[in-house]
Amino acid sequence: MARLLLLPDISAIGSFAGAYSNYDIANQSPRTGPFGPKDKPTPLFEEVELGLQSVIDPYARADIFISFTPDGVDVEEAYLTTLNLPAGLQLKAGKFFSPFGRLNQQHPHVWDFIDAPLAMQRLLADEKLSGPGADVAWLAPLPWFAELHLAGQGTNPSPSQPSDGASSERLTAVARLLQYFPIGDATTLGVGFSAARRSEATGAFRDLGGADLYLRWRPLYSRSYVTLQGEVFARRFSGSMSGELTDALPVLAGELGQGTDWGGYAQLFWRQDAYFGYGVRYDDAPTGPRYGAVGVPEGMEQRYSAIANWYPSEFQRIRLQAAYDRRPGGQDGVEFLLGLEFGIGAHGAHPF
Amino acid sequence: MTSFVILKRVAPLAAVVLAALAPRPAAAALKVVTTTEGLAAIAREIGGDRIQVESLSRGIQDPHFVDANPMLAVKLRNADLLVDVGLDLEIGWLPPLVNQSRNGEIQPGGPRRFTAASAVQVLDVPTGPVSRAEGDLHPGGNPHFMTDPRRVAQIAAALAGRLTALDGKNAGYYAQRRDAFVKALDAARARWEAQLAPVKGAKIFTRHRTMTYFFDWSGLAGDGELEPRPGVPPPPAHLADLVQIAKRDRVKAISVENFYDTKSADVVSRYSGAKVVLIPGDVGGEPGLDTYEKYLDVVVRRIVGAIQ
Repeated sequence: MARLLLLPDISAIGSFAGAYSNYDIANQSPRTGPFGPKDKPTPLFEEVELGLQSVIDPYARADIFISFTPDGVDVEEAYLTTLNLPAGLQLKAGKFFSPFGRLNQQHPHVWDFIDAPLAMQRLLADEKLSGPGADVAWLAPLPWFAELHLAGQGTNPSPSQPSDGASSERLTAVARLLQYFPIGDATTLGVGFSAARRSEATGAFRDLGGADLYLRWRPLYSRSYVTLQGEVFARRFSGSMSGELTDALPVLAGELGQGTDWGGYAQLFWRQDAYFGYGVRYDDAPTGPRYGAVGVPEGMEQRYSAIANWYPSEFQRIRLQAAYDRRPGGQDGVEFLLGLEFGIGAHGAHPF
Repeated sequence: MTSFVILKRVAPLAAVVLAALAPRPAAAALKVVTTTEGLAAIAREIGGDRIQVESLSRGIQDPHFVDANPMLAVKLRNADLLVDVGLDLEIGWLPPLVNQSRNGEIQPGGPRRFTAASAVQVLDVPTGPVSRAEGDLHPGGNPHFMTDPRRVAQIAAALAGRLTALDGKNAGYYAQRRDAFVKALDAARARWEAQLAPVKGAKIFTRHRTMTYFFDWSGLAGDGELEPRPGVPPPPAHLADLVQIAKRDRVKAISVENFYDTKSADVVSRYSGAKVVLIPGDVGGEPGLDTYEKYLDVVVRRIVGAIQ
């Protein structure tokens, strides 16, 4: 109908959660994902995402996603994508999720788990590495899918993390090489490498690196599939600052000598049929005072999660996620999340 | 800065690869990519050796639920023509692939996009407000028109027209192959209609609303679907209703495309006596069914066989 009236496709996706944990997540395992206070089952409104999508003209299309959250309203993404540039090029311009890694480019309602991996939040961005700018993607003329992205964006990855330069959008260069290889009829292997450099202050940079792997096995005749997915993230603050800047930005100065922090996740997901799906995930992420954790010594935090999904139709998802979290110094705790998602309207199909 | 360094390194490689692949030889066959094997089979009938045909999905797949695998975007990148079914059959996977392909001319309405639905009279077009309370409806009408050979002949004729528009020097070749295909299809149709004549008016069940056009042509009638609404799984009460209907109307067959499971059909069959007929969903839906004629031959034979 919308297409007959020249209206864009309009959709809304609502996400809600119920959270319970037996430890103080806010202080002991700082993150932005859904959680409540210790020992108190808490209902949470996560997000309503409003999508407006349409071609603009024969040369480009537009995708706009507006996010309503308890923090307010934000333009999550709003970008133009060219449709027919020559030589395999495609330009994306506007505000968009940076072409870095796999989950970072997906809207949370596409994720297999209710929350983001800890390492992604700690090392890449509180929410998403994203911002206004442009991304040129070149599809190499090869028999498999090989796409090279080069983007320049103003990003503000971690307003909550201790880096003084973080409070504003700063120029970030992002590069990503993504490849997909077919392995027989039923299996596809995706491999990606990403790198980014953000200017933090004169002479100081935040360097980000990432590698991601995606293996999907789905017999052609079946709705059932199995995916194995993992990403590693690395972050380092590099460069040197003048004495004056060091005095003005003490936290950033402190980060400069800290070397590279690593983290990642690996997950396995089994979509049993049209109605049920199950997954397990392993998280490994740096923690400690530098990441805002209170009373947790510097080290690695591990989390083991399991999720069960029920899809009453293609437009609803009800899920239960349980996790066991283990922090340095022998601390541990359990978390439960109950998630509800629904979508209405015409929402564009998601890329693989 | 990182970007510029990478760009500098990549540019020479890009130049080499592009130079190798850029100019398309004038005599090269037209690259036709179809979304389904049924459409690929028709394209092959018309285009013969003057075109290269590849289907994005396989006949054993449910065409509603193909993965939007980027490997398929690679096939679309150099497509001279994209042939799709339309009516939102491929809505869940084709649009992102077309966007990823960077091939602007195969966008909907583009000069190198042929949507088969545009060549036929569409049935099951919803009247009044459309809502998902009615299940996974196709707002533009029913896209499962490949079970009607009359409509397939119309698609073949329109496709020949499009191939001619893109590749005028082979116009005579395409016209001749079109005529030969339509003639062969007419002969096959006469044979199928003779097989169908004794069971005209018989009522059958289907799993999904896939046989509307088959009924329109064959004179058989649909008496209900296992899905209470399109895409909605059958609850036991609905199956119980179907058992009653089957007994009342002497329904003898339940046709189920082979990419669906037959659990619900088996239940109705057990209590009503109607036979479950597993049919290929498209050309290529079973080994050896590599032409449209072979595919519909099997569909007609199995359904008639179950009713008689």
